[in-house]
Amino acid sequence: MSVLAGDLRESMTSSAMIAVKNLDFYYGQHKALHGITMDFPKRKVTGMIGPSGCGKSTLLRVLNRMYDLYPGQRATGEVMFDGRNIVAPGMDLNRLRARVGMVFQKPTPFPMSIYDNIAFGVKLHEKLSRAEMDARVEDVLHRVALWSEVKDRLKSSATALSGGQQQRLCIARTIATRPEVVLLDEPTSALDPVSTARIEELLDELKKEFTIAIVTHNMQQAARCADQVAFFYLGELVEIDSTDRMFTAPREKRTQDYITGRFG
Amino acid sequence: MTEATHTVKSYEQELERLRSLMARMGGLVERQTARAVSAIVDRDEEAAAEAPELDPEVDSLEREAEALAIRILALRSPMAVDLREIVAALKITGDLERIGDYASSIARRAMKLEMENNLSLIGLRNMGRLVQENLRRGIDALTQRDRDRAIEVWQSDTAVDELYTAMFRELVTYMMEDPRNIGACIHLLFVAKNLERIGDHTTNIAERVYYAATGEMLPSVRPRGGLGPTTVA
Repeated sequence: MSVLAGDLRESMTSSAMIAVKNLDFYYGQHKALHGITMDFPKRKVTGMIGPSGCGKSTLLRVLNRMYDLYPGQRATGEVMFDGRNIVAPGMDLNRLRARVGMVFQKPTPFPMSIYDNIAFGVKLHEKLSRAEMDARVEDVLHRVALWSEVKDRLKSSATALSGGQQQRLCIARTIATRPEVVLLDEPTSALDPVSTARIEELLDELKKEFTIAIVTHNMQQAARCADQVAFFYLGELVEIDSTDRMFTAPREKRTQDYITGRFG
Repeated sequence: MTEATHTVKSYEQELERLRSLMARMGGLVERQTARAVSAIVDRDEEAAAEAPELDPEVDSLEREAEALAIRILALRSPMAVDLREIVAALKITGDLERIGDYASSIARRAMKLEMENNLSLIGLRNMGRLVQENLRRGIDALTQRDRDRAIEVWQSDTAVDELYTAMFRELVTYMMEDPRNIGACIHLLFVAKNLERIGDHTTNIAERVYYAATGEMLPSVRPRGGLGPTTVA
């Protein structure tokens, strides 16, 4: 493994929000991540690319300990977030997942009203008055540019929304708990180009406030949205660098072969 | 880093086609330049007629290469080395087309040139030889995607600039000696200038070849030898 991040350090002046060091991950006997070391800089978008099974989604799932929901999966190493190693025992996982939110490939609205979809998560962590909750819901719906589309039907079911609207609602739901980090696992792969463009536009806004990690199979999307890009292959971090460098002149042959479509 | 081929075969074929269009353009403008130099220094009328005749073909290859490059950009969303190669191709075909134009311009001037025997063409002959040699090596660097050769070509344009400065001085001297030389010397001055321009476009090509091969830009300021011509007058 070689990680040449000289250019990256120049372009990434902000400090690391999450610092991953020598991270290994196992699905039972199978080792899925091999000694990953990388930073997720504060208020930057980190794109994660690589072929299916390369470990990018696995790493994303480590960052909020999603893997804890499944038996036999474990991580060793260090993932420092706010002074604590989140893969070590003794983490408050509910608290962690409120601070590190996640959005999935398929929109996953709860079968309840648009309003309750957002209020549900907030209620788990905060006690807000009715007026405060109304304000919170309106605020996050504005931020995901959904307010004007749904303001007259907040009490109707979220499942009636279009796919793109549902995904923006899921992002609204995620940021409603005021996380510091937002993880996105192929958030637009099930959406049409217009909805995709809206989500990408939204990412640009969100990164002013949140640290974002996005897994995507869409290379152009990574190129458009990310500040730094990490390329994974067979559970290894092959290369991480500024987006500009990665897509115009990557250092590693494996990166080049992958992003130019020369994979055998 | 380019030995592997694309998973999508038609993409590979499009890139090959783009390379072959550039190679053909390169061959044609090399020929135009050689004929143009010959038209001046050997007073070869046949050569003078041939150089401009190749222009339409060069122009049409340029248009075809541009259309193909745009098509690849639109359909393939090229990345990394491919992106660099395609963007370089757009620029390089422009440079080649200009070189062809300068060569034609030299050849046309050769047809008009009426010269007294007292003017020496040794300087122009040397300059023409060097410009042609650089162009030939530049096109080799292009077709072989050879970064080392690209650097050599890029560096050797300094000598062309020096020869141009020397030519400028020499021609000014002829004009001061005898005003009857002025007509011919003005033509020759333009010829020298056009050769110098061909040298510059050759340098551009070398820079683009280097960028496409490495992803790095050569420094914007090349070590310069000769004095700029404006300081001479």
